[in-house]
Amino acid sequence: MIDLFLHAAMLMTTPILLTAIGGMVNRIGGLVNIGLESMMLAGALAAVEVSAATGSVGAALAAALAAGAILGLAMSLVVTRLCANEIIVGLGFNVAVAGLVRFLLKSAYGVSGTFNPPGVVMLARYDLPVVKEIPVFGAVVSGQDCLTWFAWFMVPITAFVLHRTRIGLRLRATGSAEATVRAVGLKPLNIRDASSVFAGAMAGLAGAHLSIGVVGLFNEGITGGRGFIALAAFYFGRGSPARTALGAALFGFFDAAQIRLQGRGIPAELVQTLPYIIVIVVLVGLGFADVGRSREGVV
Amino acid sequence: MVAAFAAPFWRVAAAAAPFALAACIGAAVLAATGHDPLAVYRLMVEEAFGGQRRIAATLTAATPLLLTGLAAAIAFRAGIFNVGAEGCFYLGGLVAAVLGYVMASWPSMLLIPIALGAAAIVGGVWLIGPALARTRLGVDEVVTTLMLNFIAVDITSWLVNGPLLARGSANSATLPIAAGAELPRLLPPTTLHLGFVISLALVALFGLWERLTAAGLRSQMVGLNPRFSRAVGIDVPATLLSMMIASGLIGGLAGAIHVLGLVHRFVAGFSPGYGFTGIAIAVLGRNSAIGVAVGAVLFGALSSAGATIQLFSDVPIEIVEILQGAVMIFAVAKFGAGRRRGAAPA
Amino acid sequence: MTEAAGVRIRVGARQLSRRFGPVVAVDRVDFVVAPGTIHAVVGGNGAGKSTLMRILQGVDRPDEGSVILNDAPVRLTGPADAFARGIGMVHQEFMLAPPLTLLENLILAHEPLGRGGLIDWRAARAEADRLAKIAGVAIDWRSRVSDAPVHVRQVLEILRLLYRGVDVLILDEPTAVLAPAQVTELIALMRRLKGEGRTILFISHKLDEVMRAADAITVMRAGRVVATTTPAETDKARLARAMVGEAVEPARIETRARRAAAPLFAAKGLVARDPGGVQRLGPIDLEVHAGEIVGVAGVSGNGQDELVASAAGLRPIASGTIVFAGTPITNASTGRFRSAGIGYLSADRAEEGLCLVASIRDNFVAGREGEPPFSRRGFLRPAAIDDRAKSAMAKLSVRYRRLTDAARSLSGGNQQRVVIAREFDREPKLLVATQPTRGVDISGIAFIHQRIAEFRDREGAVLLISEEIDEILALSDRIIGLYGGIVVGELRRAEASVEKVGRMMLGQKAA
Repeated sequence: MIDLFLHAAMLMTTPILLTAIGGMVNRIGGLVNIGLESMMLAGALAAVEVSAATGSVGAALAAALAAGAILGLAMSLVVTRLCANEIIVGLGFNVAVAGLVRFLLKSAYGVSGTFNPPGVVMLARYDLPVVKEIPVFGAVVSGQDCLTWFAWFMVPITAFVLHRTRIGLRLRATGSAEATVRAVGLKPLNIRDASSVFAGAMAGLAGAHLSIGVVGLFNEGITGGRGFIALAAFYFGRGSPARTALGAALFGFFDAAQIRLQGRGIPAELVQTLPYIIVIVVLVGLGFADVGRSREGVV
Repeated sequence: MVAAFAAPFWRVAAAAAPFALAACIGAAVLAATGHDPLAVYRLMVEEAFGGQRRIAATLTAATPLLLTGLAAAIAFRAGIFNVGAEGCFYLGGLVAAVLGYVMASWPSMLLIPIALGAAAIVGGVWLIGPALARTRLGVDEVVTTLMLNFIAVDITSWLVNGPLLARGSANSATLPIAAGAELPRLLPPTTLHLGFVISLALVALFGLWERLTAAGLRSQMVGLNPRFSRAVGIDVPATLLSMMIASGLIGGLAGAIHVLGLVHRFVAGFSPGYGFTGIAIAVLGRNSAIGVAVGAVLFGALSSAGATIQLFSDVPIEIVEILQGAVMIFAVAKFGAGRRRGAAPA
Repeated sequence: MTEAAGVRIRVGARQLSRRFGPVVAVDRVDFVVAPGTIHAVVGGNGAGKSTLMRILQGVDRPDEGSVILNDAPVRLTGPADAFARGIGMVHQEFMLAPPLTLLENLILAHEPLGRGGLIDWRAARAEADRLAKIAGVAIDWRSRVSDAPVHVRQVLEILRLLYRGVDVLILDEPTAVLAPAQVTELIALMRRLKGEGRTILFISHKLDEVMRAADAITVMRAGRVVATTTPAETDKARLARAMVGEAVEPARIETRARRAAAPLFAAKGLVARDPGGVQRLGPIDLEVHAGEIVGVAGVSGNGQDELVASAAGLRPIASGTIVFAGTPITNASTGRFRSAGIGYLSADRAEEGLCLVASIRDNFVAGREGEPPFSRRGFLRPAAIDDRAKSAMAKLSVRYRRLTDAARSLSGGNQQRVVIAREFDREPKLLVATQPTRGVDISGIAFIHQRIAEFRDREGAVLLISEEIDEILALSDRIIGLYGGIVVGELRRAEASVEKVGRMMLGQKAA
């Protein structure tokens, strides 16, 4: 029983985790990406379309990645080169892309809301021969698709890149001290845009997981606010890949739990508020810590 | 008491530019899907403004936007970046809907003001938390109010699917409000209701308040330079707190008017992002009363025209959202006043 | 580095001039720095030191004359060019990334790469330790910049220059943020670098340190070089006089022998912290009486900001009491301080004294917009505001076109007059005046000093904080010295002199 539940929780965590890592990297680079929802949506649609058209999962994933990356770059450019407010631009992208997606579905395919073309090839799930026999751990690790493993693989990879490579160092500097970065001769805006491309790509893959990884079709509500839950996860994680992953897993866990608990007295909607409440608690807690520090006096 | 900004001509031009740019994007999308952009746009203008009935439809669509735009403007002007109007809208709408059928036997003269007032108060109280977090702890209000939106939507969704669900109702809705709670129609058979007048009046009042009152001047100074304001003795935290609460009051009121005037019940998902559109309206209108009024009418026109053109052409209504989103994006680009930072970590 | 060894002038200037509109920032300056020396550039505000350094660093370009490098005139194309030629500067505001470690900041943008394109941390660490050894300092490379104290950050900035191969290091007011013990360490560091063959150029107005550290001293005033000397050939008093100048002293206001008996403003045991939580002031006792001007002499960074913030009620104090006109107002709000009768002239006119984008009228009425006669029952009374504003502006002879013009359309001097007009119109009992004539021309200075004197003659009290010794001497009835957050001495005008005040500013007893 618990095995099935954990397996489901892992599955639900994947899109949140992918997007959260992308969003975390983006924020480290200095941009809070509110528009991740739109990139997930675009990725989900692209994956379904290309999968049905070509029969190739690889091509579908590539298309989803590209769709997200392009939107990420577009949004970033508006913020960095046109000095636009990142929050409003993000919200605007969400509205515009949601509309665009539904518009295209109606115009190109004549469908409203749900797009279910024939011949969609889903992401395959793989059982790991020895691992799957291990209780609990086996259920969590084995029988997942490649994107799930990729997502978790990215956690240590991101940590490694951030702290051991040039690009990671420069990214961290860009987000916290843009003037300094410019003063040492680098181009902070380019670095920031690159982090947005990464975030968009990850969100695109997350969308692909939602569509061809789980349900096998596209629906206009498929992202279900997960872009914002991912935001909650990376706010919770505050720049640490491990903590971000913990947040994403926590929210994925709640998501899976809430489905199971439906009809058992705990309202689904209230469980859904948990990620957002946690973000507020974290921010307020940090606020208290700051006030305490300045009152006590640090040398 | 207006600060000496750029000449009015440039202000209008700067406000019009995002619409022009959005129109280009929309045109590209239309052309790419085999429609004639100019024909579509002409049809939209006709549908929005051609004739009394259509204008009434436009103004009806503009009604919620007048107040969500005002809610955003009043906060932004004071330097508080409140994006939580959507949440207040939901909460206010639910409160008004519930009072609307619970107090069914009450006379209109009492019921309507009470419902509106209660909704407003709930909206105002909802934002006290983020306001205090900002003034006492320095916590950025953007993220906190954004999160509160989702929490509010989820809470109202839970309530309307559970305890407050109308018996025998298929979708998540409350019971319809009593006839005595409905805001009267202004121009039957159109759906234009008294709420439009109330909202417009509030926007006008804001315009007077910002120019003629000491509190209006104070709020403007705090928004322009909080450090200066503190040095000359203005109570900055109190100003920020009061403007945030006012913003919440108006957001709650907006939801209540929408319920009592148009929808007559609370339904989950009854706001297609009015709160967020209000943000774009405030930014485009430079936080001024006239700007908010004009912006609300324009966005209302967009929305109502989009609804009808899909009856007469095969252009999907979503063209409206594409245009709205594009306007939001360009509203804060280049010409945009936005806020202090364009791309710095939150 | 070694190619510079044989030249006479490692870096310098020949007949260098730079103008900003009508203002001549640097005026035909000849300037020579020998290689392997520590060279100090001293001067007051507006002397031209910063502009000269910016030109030497390639950030700005001269209008006339040239920069000299290794005996030859050069045209620097930008800071990267200067850097490539071995010239680098440590600014007063450090250019560091706070969440990153000291080591990461050191190597940023020039990270040594190892296998597979990854950062070679071992090589980075080795180089960092080598530099630290040269400088003779112990650094915890793994700590974060945000956790590092200020003097460590400064050393990091210096080491970063060394890491990039800079051999002419320009330090801008390096000791402004240091405690005395740390200053000694910095001087030792400079000497060690000099021993290595590097050249140090440092800007300072702390004459004590200049005398201790420098091999050669250049004094600038009003854009010109007025003296070139060595510590052996001069002393602090002479340097101070050269900085301040004998000719253009503001006329002294007659001092008052009488003042009210009981203090109007009394602070006891006052302790105040800076916004970061560090204690910068106190404990001190301070009294200001009606009908007197108390001048606070001291170099910035010795607690003046905190004194101002405490006296004007801008920030709460850490401990102590403040009593004003017989009523305790400790930690009352700024509004309460002002309504009690304390006025404030900010040193930061652009960001605190005025709201530049707002109109002159709004700047005038701000803070009182809800009070009669400016408003009635919450509604503004524009006619009343205009009348009052006009008369207030007239009293200060402010030159403006319309009250509705933005404050930023006025000249600096007129902007200052607007601030003073607003404060005086409130008829305060105590005026906390900080750098009241900064950025004002000579005639404006005289005018403002007159107004302040008249205010005192009307039984007003003034707490004057200024970095200009002549302003303190010209106006004050009583002068107190603030050093390291403590009051180190008090002088009556009659017994004060530049030398005595200068000594107080350096923390020494006046007599």
